Amino acid sequence: MKIKSFDQLSSLELDTLREISSIGTGNAATALSDLLNREVRITLPDVRIMGYNEAIDWIGGPEAVTAGVLMGMGGQMSGVMLSVQKMEFINLVLETMLNVRVEDYGELDELRQSTLVEVGNILISTFINALSGLSDIAVSLTVPAFAVDMQGAILAVPMAMYGGTSDYLMTIGGNFVCDNKQVPCHLLLSPDVRSLNFLLAKLGVAE
Amino acid sequence: MNEKITVGIADMKMAKGTGVLITYALGSCIGLCFEDPALRLGALLHVMLPMNLEAGRKNAFKYADTGIRETLRQMTAKGALKTRITVKIAGGAKMFEVNGGSLGNIGQRNIESVHTILRQEGIRLTAEDVGGTVARTLLFDVATGQGCIRSYGRQDVLF
Repeated sequence: MKIKSFDQLSSLELDTLREISSIGTGNAATALSDLLNREVRITLPDVRIMGYNEAIDWIGGPEAVTAGVLMGMGGQMSGVMLSVQKMEFINLVLETMLNVRVEDYGELDELRQSTLVEVGNILISTFINALSGLSDIAVSLTVPAFAVDMQGAILAVPMAMYGGTSDYLMTIGGNFVCDNKQVPCHLLLSPDVRSLNFLLAKLGVAE
Repeated sequence: MNEKITVGIADMKMAKGTGVLITYALGSCIGLCFEDPALRLGALLHVMLPMNLEAGRKNAFKYADTGIRETLRQMTAKGALKTRITVKIAGGAKMFEVNGGSLGNIGQRNIESVHTILRQEGIRLTAEDVGGTVARTLLFDVATGQGCIRSYGRQDVLF
């Protein structure tokens, strides 16, 4: 049965998505580990189906400023993938790669921004590559876009994309742990309902 | 400042006499402050998309067209007159510069739709702070009719 809305997913389908999330985030963590030359692990990956205002609370309130790297998906799947990078994560990357530390998002000059975009690009591409290989779905990605702003507005981008068909936002993704410290960097895959059905069918779990 | 009443995404709240209505982090979404000065009746609406094409039409406040009409209906039910109601809007930004793809310019489409619906309903638009690339938090003081826009990395705008 094809679902019409994210809240209709069965527990088998949710488990499958959790597994995809685990593999995608795991691959991304390996890539990050190679890049930073440190051990990077992941927290328990998550599949969440949330109402709009619930999603904003979950990410940590609407007005907190954060950096976001966004890539659009095309080809056989459409949707967006976001890498939401908070301060601890940004400093982990900048310290390792550029040997600088920032206290405020305003200190992100062009070079630092482009470093974060590239890291976001690598994380997202690795996740999508893993998903694509597992499901045999060809996915193309747009050039990454970057924004530093209130996270509520960043999260509203995927919401607005599917707002016409769904009252819920579905996110698949996880967090990283580095040197036993959680570094908040949410990787969020947010496909549209049609692509989600296609993905589940390709994985053989659509009932 | 007295207590703030929070308006969520795809939501609308009204206040009479006093009260500060607030909606957070408008990206491509649009916040609309409705006011009938004679009654000191104010409403803050947070819409996400330009047009309601949904079959079920469960949530009127998600869309500019049905959201504006439903807000006007509820205000006139409380005695407001459409000829007295004025509106101020904020939002409709473009958060990410993405080349191609459908997510391009929901903000711009929202702005255009809000303009069209207000014109159709004969409601005066007295101020706006729209477009650009920054998110906005919108506060609306019902007692004075004063609106205030907070953004990251920008001075507060009173309107």
